[in-house]
Amino acid sequence: MASVTVAKLLKRFGQTEVLKGVSLAIPEGAFAVLVGPSGCGKSTLLRLLAGLEIADQGTIHFGERDVTRLEPRERDISMVFQSYALYPHLTVRENLAFGLKLRKTPAKDIEKAVLEASEMLGLGPLLDRLPKALSGGQRQRVAMGRAIVRRSSLFLFDEPLSNLDAALRAQVRVDIRKLHDRLGTTSVYVTHDQVEAMTLADVLFVLNKGVVEQSGPPLEVFARPATRFVAGFLGSPAMNFFDAHLESKGAGFQAVAKDGFAMAVDAERFAGELKAGREVTVGVRPHDIHVAEGGAPFQVSIVEALGAESYAHGTIAGAPFVARVEASTPVKKNDRLEVSFAEMHLFDKQTGVSLRAP
Amino acid sequence: MKSTRALLSLLLLSVLTLLGSPAFAEPIRLWHGYRGSEEKALEAILKGWKGEPVETLAVPYDAYLTKLAAAIPAGQGPDVYIDSHERLGELRARKIVGPVGDALEPGVFSPPALDAVSDAGVVWALPLSQKCLALYLNTDLVKEPPATLEDLADLIGKLPRGTYPVVYDVQHVYGIAALFSSFGGRLLDEHDGYGFSGPAAEQTLLFARDLIEHHVDPESADGALVTNLFKSGHAAYAVSGPWLAADLGDKAAVKWRVALLPKLRATGQPMRPLLTVESVMLSPQGALKPEARALAKLLASAEAAKIRAQYGPTPTARIDVAAADEGAPVQVFALQARTAIPMSSSPTMHAVWDPADRAIAKFIRHSATAEDALAEGKHRFDDVHRPLPARASPTPALLVAGVLALGLAFQWVKRSREEHWGAQLKQSWSSYRYVLHAVLAVGLLVIIPLVIGATTSLTAGNDENLRYVGFANFINILTARGGPLLASGSFYLVLLVTLLWTACNIVLHVGIGLALALLLSRPTLRFRAVYRVLLIVPWAVPSYVTALAWRGMFQREYGAITGLILGVNRLFGTSVEPIDWFARFSTAFVANLTTNVWLGFPFMMVVTMGALTGVPDDVLEAARVDGATRWQRLRLVTLPIIRPTLAPAVTLGAIWTFNMFNVIYLVSGGDPDGTTDILVSEAYRWAFTRENQYGYAAAYAVLIFLMLFLTTRSRGTKSDEKKIAATPPAPAEVV
Repeated sequence: MASVTVAKLLKRFGQTEVLKGVSLAIPEGAFAVLVGPSGCGKSTLLRLLAGLEIADQGTIHFGERDVTRLEPRERDISMVFQSYALYPHLTVRENLAFGLKLRKTPAKDIEKAVLEASEMLGLGPLLDRLPKALSGGQRQRVAMGRAIVRRSSLFLFDEPLSNLDAALRAQVRVDIRKLHDRLGTTSVYVTHDQVEAMTLADVLFVLNKGVVEQSGPPLEVFARPATRFVAGFLGSPAMNFFDAHLESKGAGFQAVAKDGFAMAVDAERFAGELKAGREVTVGVRPHDIHVAEGGAPFQVSIVEALGAESYAHGTIAGAPFVARVEASTPVKKNDRLEVSFAEMHLFDKQTGVSLRAP
Repeated sequence: MKSTRALLSLLLLSVLTLLGSPAFAEPIRLWHGYRGSEEKALEAILKGWKGEPVETLAVPYDAYLTKLAAAIPAGQGPDVYIDSHERLGELRARKIVGPVGDALEPGVFSPPALDAVSDAGVVWALPLSQKCLALYLNTDLVKEPPATLEDLADLIGKLPRGTYPVVYDVQHVYGIAALFSSFGGRLLDEHDGYGFSGPAAEQTLLFARDLIEHHVDPESADGALVTNLFKSGHAAYAVSGPWLAADLGDKAAVKWRVALLPKLRATGQPMRPLLTVESVMLSPQGALKPEARALAKLLASAEAAKIRAQYGPTPTARIDVAAADEGAPVQVFALQARTAIPMSSSPTMHAVWDPADRAIAKFIRHSATAEDALAEGKHRFDDVHRPLPARASPTPALLVAGVLALGLAFQWVKRSREEHWGAQLKQSWSSYRYVLHAVLAVGLLVIIPLVIGATTSLTAGNDENLRYVGFANFINILTARGGPLLASGSFYLVLLVTLLWTACNIVLHVGIGLALALLLSRPTLRFRAVYRVLLIVPWAVPSYVTALAWRGMFQREYGAITGLILGVNRLFGTSVEPIDWFARFSTAFVANLTTNVWLGFPFMMVVTMGALTGVPDDVLEAARVDGATRWQRLRLVTLPIIRPTLAPAVTLGAIWTFNMFNVIYLVSGGDPDGTTDILVSEAYRWAFTRENQYGYAAAYAVLIFLMLFLTTRSRGTKSDEKKIAATPPAPAEVV
């Protein structure tokens, strides 16, 4: 087990700068999730950690050890690939034992480690099959087994669930977390799925365009997004945004949308950042919306009923807007509602940075 | 009605044509193998012919005998033809030559020449001209012929640098026979036994090697070298035939004359060269026609001899035609011919050349003592010339075939009794129609030749001697013809060489192909496409062209490799000897191997490149993460994954190599001494250069087929079993 420290990592592919000076620290034993949209550089970062690519600049430390230029086999890591990358010519047992054999582990220890891993993952009856005789989920478990059997100090997961169907994905997600709790190995997990990110992570890193936009415990990142990008990326349905400007109102401030609707701003939460006339983007999560008299006018254009709750789609101040409503609340197409916001995020309109005090 | 009449008239017409044809006078057909001035001479002679029209046909020398043998029995051949006398034995055996009868003018032909074309008092051909070796003098360097051949050694040191006392081909039987006769030897004894062995032959070999090793005679003097060295003034004397005179002509740079071959001091006996007599022969049909006999007589007449003398220096076989001036080449050759030994016309003579040539080469190379080399030559001769196996009763084979046929018929009847059989047959009738052409083509081109080949292997002898011998050929081959199992040329030794050949080739083909494919599959390599095309080129060139090119490069005197060595010597002042590639097994084998590797690796490279695209990148990355080094990734991941794709290609390559006739035949030609021959080239030799023992060659072919068939089959089933064991049925349950 080891902590991971990455400093000012830079990686180019030809002209394209994929990582633009990424720094991050993962404490020992933590389950870190790298999340971000396609092309944000999260997979590249993982491959740099694995040693499959070498950084152009910057350093990577596992604990005290500088591994920046080391070969993968010198790093003491395991990796689960998106496509599982099982050795097609080897049986499940041989797949699991492959890394140990390369390390000249005594046969008895290999046998023991393989049995232990296979028991943990329920691979027992599959041990003598070839990968092509396995289902997708079974292959995924073998890939996991291959990673854990070596007891390396760092596990790397490259979108390991994206080839599974939805139901299986939910289950394996839980299994992975359980496994981590049991083994306690530092893990780095790459995904573009925010549900996986939220549910698995001890510490979450949101990447965008080659930089870490925000990091921290997932709930905190969710509750206090540092940028408009993070706010929009996490949460489903995504946060609603509309433009407004600030006006003084008494001792405090209010945000005034284009259509003149004004919302009071809790000055304490945005201390120091507020001043009259500032152009802002207002962000409201669909779950923070209540139907209430005297609120913002919300024109409903369509309603998605999910059973326990419904999502009402429409516009506020000309911007598209989604609100979660209780299933019991009668909302239908073309309704005009008035809604109030339980929680409101403000971002600088130009930079997208949150106005909230750090 | 109309069509019937047309048919009838057509029938009538053809009958008339057939009946009428003998009524028309047929021209006399004359075949010859002449070119150039000799052909012109023949035309001039035919101008004096007053009889029936003559139809002449020039047939290439290579195909002469085959064409005669094919055409004459069919009545399409010549009435009169011109050929060398030593073919008479073969021609008589094939019954395509008749006695000359009244065409012979008594008392006009040189006795040795007449002797050469007669047998037991019957004259089978009319001698035209005679060819034998004589001594050429470069009169710029020497004035008189030497008293004895040994005296030539005195010339060493007295001649200009780089000039040899004599250039004389003693590496081949034809040339060395003159020495051999002086020692009292005969190539064939009176019972057609092999004569090139015993003390006389040993002395001859020693004498010949001394000539070379004392630099009296250059090493590896063959026909071309004799001509070149003498023509360029680099030899005081040359031992050669009339063809050298024709080549020198009037405008030669050197002044020359011809003299009789000298004596040997060692024996006191003159050297007597082999005599070949060009003769007019009559086909059996021609021998019955007076006109044809008259034509033959004309061709051998004194007038014809005079005409011929105007066109070339070959001496006539007639003694009544006044020779040219004293000392003229024609006259000397005529004199030499009188003491020459007519080459035996027995068909057995064919079998003498190769073993004797090999024995000479082996001894001169110091690869064996004279005794051993000659004994091996005799053994080779006996091998080739062994008596035909006894006729076997075909009954057991017919019985087996009959039982098999019965079994098949029974099966067929049983099937036809099954219910729905007829209906099913009718239903699939159209499918049978679709595959019919393929079945016919495969049957015609593959199955029937296979069956004929297999049947041939149960026979021995040719033509009317053809006989069924059961498995005698196989037994003979598998018992190494009664000799030691690993004797030179035995099946087992050749098999070992073949296996070594195949193994070395496959290792190198796969190794080089794999290495290049791995190199070319690196995405970082620049100009990949260019390299790929360049590396495939050897494959695209026809293999015999490549083989000939490599043969040329390995040639000792003028080859590219010798050139390279000489270049290195010049550059660095070293004195590396040029390698005589085909003098030793190891170097000859390497030469063959190099050529075939050049031919074979592109195929493996292309197959491997294709297979490598099937190795997923992430699996290799997984192996890297698992801790595999580059070598371990290749050995433990890449190779096992591409193996199933590569395996059929390797099997195919092994079969090709096992049967790679072109390279063996064209590059080393089995040299030295047939040691680099593989089974296929050995089979070829039995079929085409050792008295056409087709049955024996077919037995070789059947053995090759069986070996390849069984090996590839057993390999196939083994890997199939493994696959089945490793792949349980796909699971139904999903996690």
